[in-house]
Amino acid sequence: MAEQAQGISPLSAVVADVAQGVALALRGGGGSYALSDVLPPDEAVAPAAVRVLGADALAPYALDRAAATGGATDRTTADRALVRAALTAFAPGADASEVSLWSYRGLLAAARALLPADPDGWPPEPPAATAWTATDPWPKLAHRASQLASLALPGLDTPLAAGLAERTDDLARGFVRAVRRRDWLQAAGLGRWLASAADVPDTLGLDSGLVFVRQMSGTQPRVALHVAAAARFYGRGS
Amino acid sequence: MTGADPRGGTAVAAPAREHPDGGTADVHGLDPALLDSMAGSALRWLDGMRDCFRLPADVTTDADPNLTLKPLGELAELTHLIRTRHPRADVRTLAEGLFAFAWEETRGGALFGDLLRGEPRATYPVELYGVFARTGLRHPGVEELIRTATGLRGWRVAREDHTRTLGVLNAERRIGLPEHADFAEVLAMTGLGCRSEPWTLDRKAAYGVTHDVFHLTDWGRARERMPADLAEYLRLWVPSWLECWLEEELWDLAGEWLAVSACLPVPVQDPAAWRRLAAAQAPDGSVPESGTEPPPGPDEADAFTACYHSTLVTAFAATLARIGAADGSDTAPHSPAPHSPSLPHGPAPHGAAATRNTAMEGPESEAAS
Repeated sequence: MAEQAQGISPLSAVVADVAQGVALALRGGGGSYALSDVLPPDEAVAPAAVRVLGADALAPYALDRAAATGGATDRTTADRALVRAALTAFAPGADASEVSLWSYRGLLAAARALLPADPDGWPPEPPAATAWTATDPWPKLAHRASQLASLALPGLDTPLAAGLAERTDDLARGFVRAVRRRDWLQAAGLGRWLASAADVPDTLGLDSGLVFVRQMSGTQPRVALHVAAAARFYGRGS
Repeated sequence: MTGADPRGGTAVAAPAREHPDGGTADVHGLDPALLDSMAGSALRWLDGMRDCFRLPADVTTDADPNLTLKPLGELAELTHLIRTRHPRADVRTLAEGLFAFAWEETRGGALFGDLLRGEPRATYPVELYGVFARTGLRHPGVEELIRTATGLRGWRVAREDHTRTLGVLNAERRIGLPEHADFAEVLAMTGLGCRSEPWTLDRKAAYGVTHDVFHLTDWGRARERMPADLAEYLRLWVPSWLECWLEEELWDLAGEWLAVSACLPVPVQDPAAWRRLAAAQAPDGSVPESGTEPPPGPDEADAFTACYHSTLVTAFAATLARIGAADGSDTAPHSPAPHSPSLPHGPAPHGAAATRNTAMEGPESEAAS
């Protein structure tokens, strides 16, 4: 991990490793997934890594929700502790951005939906606005949405997703701009939201666009994760 | 311009023939005063640059056509629309003067005869002549030569790209010649016609799409010719492309996208984008090709080369945006247009020089050969 990646901060290296594990699981490889397998709980930055990845840390469980929530096994207990640590240590402050608030809510919503119930109860849901999903100019909207692509997950029926569903054309414009800027992470995040939408314009060429982004991005694990999620959950780009 | 009352605030454009001067109504959220200021100052700068547009004595032999025929052709194409369509009389007068100047520089069309005798297979003399022929400015001797050249089987050999072929077809129809290919079939093979994945556009492809639109709509005069599927394609993606090239500060292409926005059957306008282009316009009216740096070199010729195209495009786009949504084919009373007004396309002289490999129409490729 960190030792193998000189010049990269340990946190980003850990995040990349976990993202790689999630992407692999979404592609159906590597056996059964457990967050605590790809992210050792004694890793110092584990809570921060979970907070950065948000709901994506639990995304493979959305493939088989019944198995994940069927009962508290050792693995799910360990996962629950990891997520709880992240939610506790990195709760958004009073001046938190909308992106920070929503990524926190995404992680919380994924925990509630995809992990066995926490006997102590999960932390409360912080209020987060949705008005900006209707009013942001499309470049700003697209940038924020891409940062929140982990919320494009089946079963996470958030007000954010409902708001973005009204802006499909604008997200698609953001995808075009992101590819032109070679901002592969933003493009992949937007492509994932678009994959979840029912009304993507045909002329966008979303399927080939997702493949293009994955191939052009080289080996960026979070790009691969978004593209894998688009394919596995929504059948696009594969 | 708006309806019968130019200050009525309606978004419905009036027929161009009404020419209400100085209207202050807001057109599609745009600021008419800003648009008129941009067009007027751009034309004044161009007017002051007439000497740079003047054709040298060796125009038909050794002169670089990118620096001679191409600027003059653009001047004629774009000022023609402004002189017939702009709602303000002072702006129309400026454009009229420049258009007449361009015709004079061709020696009443005789230039095109010289060019054709030198290069009978070249398309650019025909394309450039078509700009003037469309308005009724004709030269009988040139027409005889053109009929011979365009009647040859060799004329039907494919051009270097389909967008350019649309420009040639446009010229044929403007002049009243038989079209050498089917416009719709050629269009279908262009970047616009095949509705390329919008995220694949690079600069060259972008210039191709803008000119596909200009030829298809006869440079904004026949927006109704835009098929619904292509209009939808542009409605979706032009905002994204416009934003990309504004961010890159490539002002001529940003201006072309603003012009394209105004060529849609239902124009899509972006007031903020206009303010950004306005901020790039220098106090003297010139618009640099890119960035914010002053044009290279101290002399007038350098400034001209660096700015003439973007400045012309700015005046053209501001005029199209100002006209608004309602007028159709080119039947405005200021246009003599003796031929069928329902002709799409137009020659596309273009300032994006061959050195930038922009696939723009213009005389360079054939004249340089």
